[in-house]
Amino acid sequence: MMSNDKVLVQVRNLSVNYHTRLGPVSAVNDVSFDIYRGEILGLVGESGCGKSTLGKALMRMIMPPAKISSGAIIFDGEDVMKFDQKRLRDFRGRRISMIFQDPMTSLNPVQRVDEHLIEAIQVHEPKTVLENAQERVRTLIGRLGIQERRLRDYPHQLSGGMRQRVMIGLGLILNADLIIADEATTSLDVIVEAKLVDQLREIREEFGLAILVITHNIALVAEIADRIAVMYAGQIVELGDITNIFDNPLHPYTIGLLSSVPSIKLDDHEELYKMSGEPPNLTHPPSGCRFHPRCPEAMPLCSRFCPNMEEVVPGRWVHCWLYQDHPQKERSTIKVKA
Amino acid sequence: MSSSLRNFLITRIFLTIPMIWILITMVFIVMRILPGDPIRSQLGPKVSEEQAMALRERLGLNRPLYVQYFDFLWKMVTLDFGTALTQGERPIIDELGEKLPATIELTVPAMIFTAIFGIVSGAYAAEKRKKTIDYGIRLFSIAVYSIPIFFMGLVFQIIFSVRIPILPLAGRMDTLMMTNFRPITHFYVLDSILQGNWAAFRSCISHLILPSLTLGLALTGVFIRLTRVNMIEMLQADFITAGRARGLPERRLVYKHALRNTFIPILTLIGLQFAILLAGAVLTETTFSWPGMGRYLVDRIELRDYTAVQATIGVFAFFVAIISLAMDFLYAFIDPRIRY
Amino acid sequence: MNEKNTHDNDIDQEYVVPQWQLDLDRVGFVRKIFLARKWYGGDWWFVVLSAFLLLFIIIIGIFPQWFAPYDPKAEVSSSLLAPGEAPSSFVLVANIDSDIKEFKEIASSKNKVGIVVASPSSQALREAVTALNDEAKAAGEPATYNPRPIRFETLEEGLEATAAGEVNGFIAAPAELEGIIEKYPQLEICGALREETAKGFIFGTNQIGQDIFSRIIWGTRIALIVGLSSAIVSILVGVPLGLISGFISGPFDRILTLLMDSLYSFPGLILAISIAAVLGAGIGNVIVAIAVLYVPTYFRIVRGQTLSVKQELYVEAARSLGAKPSTILWKYIFPNVIPSIVIIFSVNVADAILTEAGLSFLGLGLPPDTPDWGIDLARGQDYLRRAWWLITFPGLMVSMVTLAFSMLGESLSEILNPRLAEL
Ligand SMILES: Nc1ncnc2c1ncn2[C@@H]1O[C@H](COP(=O)(O)OP(=O)(O)OP(=O)(O)O)[C@@H](O)[C@H]1O
Ligand SMILES: [Mg+2]
Repeated sequence: MMSNDKVLVQVRNLSVNYHTRLGPVSAVNDVSFDIYRGEILGLVGESGCGKSTLGKALMRMIMPPAKISSGAIIFDGEDVMKFDQKRLRDFRGRRISMIFQDPMTSLNPVQRVDEHLIEAIQVHEPKTVLENAQERVRTLIGRLGIQERRLRDYPHQLSGGMRQRVMIGLGLILNADLIIADEATTSLDVIVEAKLVDQLREIREEFGLAILVITHNIALVAEIADRIAVMYAGQIVELGDITNIFDNPLHPYTIGLLSSVPSIKLDDHEELYKMSGEPPNLTHPPSGCRFHPRCPEAMPLCSRFCPNMEEVVPGRWVHCWLYQDHPQKERSTIKVKA
Repeated sequence: MSSSLRNFLITRIFLTIPMIWILITMVFIVMRILPGDPIRSQLGPKVSEEQAMALRERLGLNRPLYVQYFDFLWKMVTLDFGTALTQGERPIIDELGEKLPATIELTVPAMIFTAIFGIVSGAYAAEKRKKTIDYGIRLFSIAVYSIPIFFMGLVFQIIFSVRIPILPLAGRMDTLMMTNFRPITHFYVLDSILQGNWAAFRSCISHLILPSLTLGLALTGVFIRLTRVNMIEMLQADFITAGRARGLPERRLVYKHALRNTFIPILTLIGLQFAILLAGAVLTETTFSWPGMGRYLVDRIELRDYTAVQATIGVFAFFVAIISLAMDFLYAFIDPRIRY
Repeated sequence: MNEKNTHDNDIDQEYVVPQWQLDLDRVGFVRKIFLARKWYGGDWWFVVLSAFLLLFIIIIGIFPQWFAPYDPKAEVSSSLLAPGEAPSSFVLVANIDSDIKEFKEIASSKNKVGIVVASPSSQALREAVTALNDEAKAAGEPATYNPRPIRFETLEEGLEATAAGEVNGFIAAPAELEGIIEKYPQLEICGALREETAKGFIFGTNQIGQDIFSRIIWGTRIALIVGLSSAIVSILVGVPLGLISGFISGPFDRILTLLMDSLYSFPGLILAISIAAVLGAGIGNVIVAIAVLYVPTYFRIVRGQTLSVKQELYVEAARSLGAKPSTILWKYIFPNVIPSIVIIFSVNVADAILTEAGLSFLGLGLPPDTPDWGIDLARGQDYLRRAWWLITFPGLMVSMVTLAFSMLGESLSEILNPRLAEL
């Protein structure tokens, strides 16, 4: 994985801990991956596996008592971890932006829609003349399919889908390169969700920005994403092209996850696969590979050593001992064909 | 004005009516139904039973309880409080018409002081939560809450008018000046401005400083606490996180976004604070010999003037209900979720 | 891909994970509570500090006799002594040849005793006579001491009259006599008027010569009795009402809520004043008057929580399994409201003590001369210019006790309040 023109963000060995009363919670552990320019990357995993934490860490929005304990985030060639406050503020909003799950609460209830957008412009580009800012807002909002008269509305007067589009607008108004959508469609109904997903794709084409879609809805990821990262208990266990992973999942967790998704075919009455065991308590994560207590393929080795994130075929990374060598390993390593 | 706002306000006005009714009924219960004979306590044990009966007759206290109740309700609603038993034949409503402005003149500056001081330090403490300055502000708020208001007043009197005599000890105005001062509205500050009497104005203001400072400071504790708690909650709201993710400066997030939203719950709290404020005013007025409603109430209780007492408490009840109504109106105008 | 990057210069969060947090899951329960002081920071210290203060106050309240040197109602010395000031002693002056040794000898009603008019010696004379009579009564003798006081305009006049034998003896302070007594060789100082404790009182005495220190010690007991019992009465009324009202809903709930809201919005002290004024003075009446004020607070909080707990899944589940309503209330809902009750309780006690002091200050609470802080403050108000100590010490005492209770409530709420908890 060399940094080249295609790569927008490089995340290397990122770990985040929440320091709670009950001890540290290892919410993200030694995660490495890249986000390419203009791609839609899906990040999926069970609830509580650290997806939101990872998303916030990308913007360095981890607040005490949590802390990024180690790792590097290289955004467009610059080390985000080295930014000072001012740089960081500029970075957020102008280069990267985030949309949250609950559209009801993520806009300021006493601020009008246009005030949100104009404020964003004025904070980041203080020299902008108000008229220009308003003009930009109007153009953008039109593109997002919100009527202009809605600009003078308060957030509570908009529907959920519209609010999320305003949130997207807030990311676009400053031409951010990456938008992180953290379960942005979860609270919308199916039809609005579908529309929003279409819109996200269009926006990607039009503005050429990258979108990190965080969700536990695999069907959504299948529809929208170019690549997919599967996360389990604070670690990314598998990363690759969407078609490859759906056709041929490698990591035992991914296999389990995909077979527990209900099929949409109506005549399909087969019993859903249920993964045994519970997701681990991240205060005391299992040793070695964090998935080994639930893994059908677990080997003695798995409980003692943590595997690496290895590129098994070009563009396909797996975090599993099945696919990599170790001197103490009894079974032979599986070779994956490209 | 949109129809939803109008509906809200109309509903709210209708809700005030049962509230006033309950409060007046409460006054009735306290005054007439609780054990204890107001007439006996008024006249003292030496007076004969005939005289007591005569007074009961005069006040209509020998009628059946329900008749008394409806009579009482009617008189309260029509503001017909009768005449005081102890102050010649002066109608109580006239007396209260002089006392109420005094109380308002004392409480308004106190409320302004406490609101500004309390909101600013509460918001600052919330921003600096768990830092030393936060604990300092909280300790201060607990301390001013814990000091009895009259004790604080007495200490201020000792310091600022006995030891370092820069401010007057008590009253609303220099007694000498009172002789040629004709109050119109009974808001002395207003009156002295209207008459262009600047000496009187200065005297009023200097008399106002200590009592309203005492009252304001005593309330600040509660205010800081409430602002801080609400701000902390607001700072954890999603739209603050979203704003941070948009790169808005922290200052702006705290003092513009969070604080503006905190005003909405705080406004409701100011309404509730008014109850504490009035209670505090009774003690402050007694300490500083301020001739307001509270002072009047305590004096009449001492004189056992039962008609005056019940009228005063009734007026307090009205006052509370109206303030809470006014606060709700203000609230409706500030919160866009109600306005639209 | 394996370059390890650790950034210590993280400016965004100058937050370095302290060692104790890393230690947390390696220590036992007791150590955990102790380590909690670092987690909760100042609040932990607030709780500990106020707990110690309260322990101390409660011990004083239970055993005031251990701490108070004097009877709080007894007039133990001359009035308005400043803190630490010794009472001025008075001496008896008489003719050398009269052979008088002590005051007792000339204290019968046949005798005349001289004093300077309107001086402290008149009070000293009165006190000395009272003391003699008390002594006689205690010994079972008739209490007949009652010398006739003769008042003089000046000290010289009085001494001259004494020298001339017009009065049997003369009473004055030694400081006054200095330099004057020498002019009357036929007079001598026979000794102290009575054996007095020459030491002062640490907080001084009030206008009727009671020891302020003893009074505020005994005042603690009154404050605690009123504060705690009125809070308990409010709980006993407010909590069950709130539970039931929130649980059964319906018109009963609506009426009760309206009632409680109206009560809540009314200025508490004014309500207490009117109740206390109608009921009359007495500790029981004060407790009732104050208890009424806090019933709505418990009611509102408990009702609100009952409503939200009622919706929780496990309560729904228990209900669908056929648990009795009383079981659900007691086993599922009540335990959830306990933390809030604890918080309100301590704030409530603080408030009740303040209200009680306020009522007494207005002369509406307790019978006069009860050793009570509010009463002492009200009395001291008249002596503001002369004697600052009359109000200072009772006032500080009210503030301290209230502070202890409200500090406990405030920090408990910061620790227990789930709305504020970050984690
Ligand atoms: N403020 C916090 N304090 C302590 N632990 C936290 C906090 N926030 C999250 N965690 C823990 O960190 C882990 C990851 O949380 P995170 O919110 O990132 O999960 P998630 O994958 O986004 O879950 P979901 O799908 O439910 O949104 C969880 O195990 C959670 O218990
Ligand atoms: Mg999440």
